[in-house]
Amino acid sequence: MKKVFALITICAPLLLKAQGFQVNLQGQKQQGMGGTGTGIVTDGASLFFNPGGVSFLKQNSVSVGVTPVISHAKYVDASSSTVSETNSPVSYPFTAYMVLGKKDSKLKYGLAAYTPFGSTIDWEDGWTGRFALTRLQLATVYIQPTVSYKITDQLGIGAGFVYGIGKVNLQRDMPLVDEQGNYGHATLDGKAHGYGFNAGLYFQPSSKFSVGLNYRSEVKMKADDGDATFEVPASMETAFPSGKFSTSLPLPKVISLGFSYNPNKKLVLAFDATMVGWKSFDTLTFDYEQNTPYLADTKSARKYENTFSYRVGAQYTVSEKVAARAGIKYLMTPVQDGYVTPDVPDASHFNYSLGLGYKLNSRLTADMSFTIQSMKRTDTNVETQMSGSYKTNIYMPGISLNYNF
Amino acid sequence: MVFFACKPHVDVPAVSKGNLDLTNYVAIGNSISAGYADNALYYGGQEVSYPNLLAQQLKLAGAGNFKQPYVDASSVGIGVNQNARFALKPNADCSGAISLAPIAIANEGDFNILTTSVAAQGPFNNMAVPGAKSITTIYPGYGDFTKGPGNFNPFFTRMTANPASASILSDALAQNPSFFTMSVGNDDVYGYALSGGVFDGITPSVGPAGVGFDASVDMIAGAFLQAGAKGVIANIPEISAIPYFNTVPYNGLVVDATTAAALSAAYAPLGISFQAGPNGFIIEDINAPGGMRQIQAGEMVLLSVPQDSLKCGGWGSMKPIPDQYILTADEISQVNSAVSAYNTKLKSIADANGLAFVDVNAFMHTVKTGIIYNGVGINASFVSGGAFSLDGVHLTPLGNALLANAFIKAINSKYGSTIPQIDATRYKGVAFP
Repeated sequence: MKKVFALITICAPLLLKAQGFQVNLQGQKQQGMGGTGTGIVTDGASLFFNPGGVSFLKQNSVSVGVTPVISHAKYVDASSSTVSETNSPVSYPFTAYMVLGKKDSKLKYGLAAYTPFGSTIDWEDGWTGRFALTRLQLATVYIQPTVSYKITDQLGIGAGFVYGIGKVNLQRDMPLVDEQGNYGHATLDGKAHGYGFNAGLYFQPSSKFSVGLNYRSEVKMKADDGDATFEVPASMETAFPSGKFSTSLPLPKVISLGFSYNPNKKLVLAFDATMVGWKSFDTLTFDYEQNTPYLADTKSARKYENTFSYRVGAQYTVSEKVAARAGIKYLMTPVQDGYVTPDVPDASHFNYSLGLGYKLNSRLTADMSFTIQSMKRTDTNVETQMSGSYKTNIYMPGISLNYNF
Repeated sequence: MVFFACKPHVDVPAVSKGNLDLTNYVAIGNSISAGYADNALYYGGQEVSYPNLLAQQLKLAGAGNFKQPYVDASSVGIGVNQNARFALKPNADCSGAISLAPIAIANEGDFNILTTSVAAQGPFNNMAVPGAKSITTIYPGYGDFTKGPGNFNPFFTRMTANPASASILSDALAQNPSFFTMSVGNDDVYGYALSGGVFDGITPSVGPAGVGFDASVDMIAGAFLQAGAKGVIANIPEISAIPYFNTVPYNGLVVDATTAAALSAAYAPLGISFQAGPNGFIIEDINAPGGMRQIQAGEMVLLSVPQDSLKCGGWGSMKPIPDQYILTADEISQVNSAVSAYNTKLKSIADANGLAFVDVNAFMHTVKTGIIYNGVGINASFVSGGAFSLDGVHLTPLGNALLANAFIKAINSKYGSTIPQIDATRYKGVAFP
């Protein structure tokens, strides 16, 4: 891990932040194992990965974790070869899991709070795509009270109610210039909320093998009272009145099937396959309370497609105190050709992770993971006609503390 | 995982000049190439003349410096009507209504521009002279003011070291150009078109060099070719693509039923009737009975028409709109024929000599249809479209950047070069107060 932190230190002065729209950073153990966790129960993160497995946890626990997302993106405009970069602060998706229940009870209760979706990207001033986007900050948190029941020694079910809260801040320059050469700027800022659920089934036919199925529903995040602020030349202020706007963003359903297998006492292997229902993100609409001949409501086609991801991970118990983990994940992009936007310059990609668990004492465990991802996408957007290549490197070092009682 | 670095590494295509010699680029042309904009020659417009923008990109491929005959940066500029440049300002019209309008930023233009020679700073790579025609580009002594108004061009006088003997072409050739852009012909027909067919003639295609268009452009292109230069020939846009000619509607006389009846009664002797709603304006036409008639669909009311006279002065209804603000069907037909003939000739020169060719006419029509460029909607609408400056003829910085890109595309495709286009998002359209 020393190496990992050395790398972060080197990168820190240059860091920007961007991340995929879906945040695949939940429990540190699972993250170290390539994001597997549907068919394996190791700790309170099962509240997220599979509530059906929570009833198989032997102890009560509280855990908190954070994974700073450090990213840097560049864009090369195809016709002018102009290179633009992002620059922004690091984002901090966090997790908090609590599992409670009487010892040997078939019924367990849990409370989880986590960041399932989010994106922060901040392009440098004056960049080629500034009339499409200069900055996006999208953060969501799901709060999930959960119940899990062990029907038999082999089978558990569980479900949680999801309350989603979010905030979005989207900015772009406007091609309206004043006599000093200052361009107009639009800022859309809003808070959103929505509801959903997370349900799972966990089946463990033997001590060597287990399987899990998880369904996390779509959560339609609605922002009805957002603030739209337009900074424009004085003579155009009545044409672009600042005021309220509303929008909604569907956070898609996720269906996962996972397996785990222990060939021996020291080694655990896990596999997950996941479908994300991105098809629901068809159009991004902004409805302004006050329209003018210049300021019309906008409908921007996104036409995302349902996607799959495949994850493989392993954990090796090195000693009583130390566990080492590794994993690989392949994520298909939901973004079709022609619809790549500078807010989420997404591409199908692999990511690679390593993890380390260390038992500090009989109750307290620290888990760390480090995940890296690099992706490249070349596209001509049908709406903005932006034609060029995005390349993004992302580093995700994470840590969590888990207390059992 | 060693391939990971903090910042992603991106590949940028190599820049090459192909089989061009870019040592000395000389541009020849008229007001459009000179960077004239907002109805005047001024520093801000010259900075973003398309030859200058093009030259900045050519420099990436190793081209030399590109010198322009700049006017003073703080000058209000000067236009062909001795006016200062236009800016968009709130303006009260005759009825007291306030709206944004192009207003000259000073009572008169900066005459120092025309009376102060900058020739000592020359020679200039940008030899474009506002008002220059094909036939006047080759006039010796085109800068000689002693020839009297109409026979010399003060915009050339200020930049030539030998006003009494030099022609634009001879000054251009004296620089040993290795590369040239030739954008000639606009003023051979636009002088006529912009003045409603009143104040200037159309250069005929036939006739010797200095009289006819064809022989004059042959001489200009031939001179560059003989000097061993490669280059680009641009054609000229049809007037239908230009806001100066298509912004004011021909049927802008909108009246109620009472007014329509009154006008119909008044014009009964001429057989003209009016209806409630939009009607064609009444225009001056010496060939019509009574010297006036109603304008027909397809005829053009020019952007130069005084709006207050239309709104409050009874122009177009009580009195005919004067001829200089109107292009009649016959005049339009003459203009279109000339543009078509010039463009055929210009293309044939390019083809015959293996020169790159920029179809500026097609470019302007594309702009008129509307384009989306890196998230910016651009079209030929006056003021709001972003491509045309406040005179409705010449381009904005953004429009010039897009035009320069059309040149770069033509150059790359002809000469095997890989000169990057301009990131035109860095250039502005019309500025708002």
